[in-house]
Amino acid sequence: MPRPRSAAVPRSAVATVAATRRSVIRGMALSGLAVGGANLLAACGGDDGPATGSGATVKFGINEAEGVGAAHDRLAAMAAAYTEETGTKVDLNAVDHNTFQESINTYLQGTPDDVFTWFAGFRMAQFAEAGLITDLSDIWPIEGLDDSFKQASTAADGKQYFVPVQYYPWAVFYRKSVFEKNGWTAPESNDDFMALMEDMQGKGITPFAFGDKDGWPAMGTFDILNMRLNGFDFHMSLMAGDEQWDGDEVKQVFETWRTLLPYHQEDPLGRTWQEAATAMGKGECGMYLLGTFVVDALGENGEDLDFFTFPELDPAIGSDALDAPIDGFCVAAAGQNQEAGKEMAKWLGSAAAADAANNGADAPFIAANSGASTATYSDLQKKSAEVVSAAANIAQFMDRDTNADFANTVMIPSIQEFLKNPDDIDGVTASIQEQAESIFA
Amino acid sequence: MTYETPVATPPPTAAPAAGTTSRTGGVLSSPRGTVVTVLVAVLALAWLFPLVWALVNSFRDYDYTQANGYLSLGGWTLDNYEEAWARGNFGLHFKNSLLITVPAVLLTLWLSSMVAFVLARFSFRFNLTLLGVFLAANLLPPQALLIPVFRLFREIPLPLFMSDSGSMLNSFWSLILVNTAFQLGFCTFVLSNYMKTLPHELYESAELDGASVWRQYWQLTMPLVRPALAALATLQVTWVYNEFFWATVLLQQGSKYPVTSALNNLRGQFFTDTNLVAAGSILVALPVLVVFFALQKQFVSGLTLGSTKG
Repeated sequence: MPRPRSAAVPRSAVATVAATRRSVIRGMALSGLAVGGANLLAACGGDDGPATGSGATVKFGINEAEGVGAAHDRLAAMAAAYTEETGTKVDLNAVDHNTFQESINTYLQGTPDDVFTWFAGFRMAQFAEAGLITDLSDIWPIEGLDDSFKQASTAADGKQYFVPVQYYPWAVFYRKSVFEKNGWTAPESNDDFMALMEDMQGKGITPFAFGDKDGWPAMGTFDILNMRLNGFDFHMSLMAGDEQWDGDEVKQVFETWRTLLPYHQEDPLGRTWQEAATAMGKGECGMYLLGTFVVDALGENGEDLDFFTFPELDPAIGSDALDAPIDGFCVAAAGQNQEAGKEMAKWLGSAAAADAANNGADAPFIAANSGASTATYSDLQKKSAEVVSAAANIAQFMDRDTNADFANTVMIPSIQEFLKNPDDIDGVTASIQEQAESIFA
Repeated sequence: MTYETPVATPPPTAAPAAGTTSRTGGVLSSPRGTVVTVLVAVLALAWLFPLVWALVNSFRDYDYTQANGYLSLGGWTLDNYEEAWARGNFGLHFKNSLLITVPAVLLTLWLSSMVAFVLARFSFRFNLTLLGVFLAANLLPPQALLIPVFRLFREIPLPLFMSDSGSMLNSFWSLILVNTAFQLGFCTFVLSNYMKTLPHELYESAELDGASVWRQYWQLTMPLVRPALAALATLQVTWVYNEFFWATVLLQQGSKYPVTSALNNLRGQFFTDTNLVAAGSILVALPVLVVFFALQKQFVSGLTLGSTKG
């Protein structure tokens, strides 16, 4: 079966998707792999059986190891449902999340599976530009996936390379029981918000749980402050490297953050997000700005949890943007069965796929497809779905919206430096700008 | 002739008596010795602490430690081990490790013993250079070779019955080969030094008896270097088994990972149960500990092997 030969990888694709907490050396070595070589992709593979439909085989790489629970079970249930529906055999390759992410460059240039799990945003777009993933514009539009999802699946060349399946929003989480006991309500305005935090402090409760030992959680705080103070468009163009990091806008974000720091737990660099979540769960802290995965650390089903979106800080900007990272699927350009891969990718975006996933696991995800059943959702998830569909703009989180090297090697240490020494905003922003120039040049 | 000396001298095998018994009691019996003992004990504790800490917490319930902090005691359970074994799919991954480690070690020892034999027994012009090259390659960090090796392996076709990817990538062959290549230098160096200590007369008589070179290698040298081979095998098993880097680079199929790489399976995307990971790490470390304690004697002699030249 003839396979399209991708063009050589442009220099601009020298980017790794190394996770946080990874050795820089290995990251650099892997990024070197991205230079050239895509045109040399393996061209050998057996062709037994039909390419698509009943009797064909499609290889499906997933970034959840067997045994981690619902996250793996949902993907496996999707694969099983696809086989049942179309007769196509699905060859599942389960690799744990972090290893999969760190090895993505060698994976895509080596012997990738036909369809694999990946993320929307810049991380997808950079592989599209490098010719490592297949153009999926002919399977779009997909019924039930609206324009905002299509937008999130589109790379710089205007074509779609991605099929979204689920998302999870970042918001301010709190214990319902703690709020009830103290007569607190979710703040509507900035004044409410400040008053709430003052009241919490007066009662000896730290308003915000906060932990940034791993480096990435505080990115969520930066994202939301930037979106509230400077707006979604500025945020996205800043992430794309088109704005000044040492300009007044970014400085204002850090200034605001500094005034909010007294309302956060002290010494965040020595605390993981799990420990911070526990502090909120035990009622030592009133609120926690995090993704919906906060429930995982509490060891409960989240019935006593509720959330609100971060209130507006500037009336001219409003509060209609938030971080809600989207997970989904791509088809690898070096995959051996392009047709079957595309066909499966299209099906994976359908409501039927989402339902199969949610019915096949203990805990459901929030389906991207609007036709998916919400019967299995928890209250938190129902509310998440409402909040996200009400939002005008959705960002993907800093480490997905920008160059992965920039996010991991520049922003993590810079934000940690700021948290250590919040008074040196000029120094931190100048250093970020300097490094951004060399990375985005 | 003095009278005291034989009385005060303890038998050579006995430990030096404590206190001020004699001048021959060694440094550890003096007050300065007490300081040293205490210092060494403290250092040993400092080194052992993280390991013991992990061991202790691997027997504790995550919810309990999260609620009461790691300084508390309680929440004892064996569930972590059971869950780590099941979740990490360790049965499969231990088998993978075995399939990689055993052939790699055997191949390394076989090839390096042949090179070492030639280097030690025959003198020709580039003898020393060759040994130097083997040693020099040992100094190269594997990370520096990542890209060339990856590209190379991608271009080497293998029949489908040997590798379902059709190339060296994503097959055990690649890992066996890469581990062998990286360990060859060290083994050759050690073995050739050891072989040089064998008396030359042995080979002269063998020669007179008409033994071929192969026979001198296989029937004369190999039995004599058995202690060195045992020591190296112990070291190599632990090194190859612990290798993690190449496995994650060259393999792309989750079910083919060796157990060291599969330890990551116990971590979630966001959430990590640290007690579970501790239990998993202990399980992964067990084979090395077993090998070490079972073959302790070879292990220690292995460390000093080749350090003196006969």
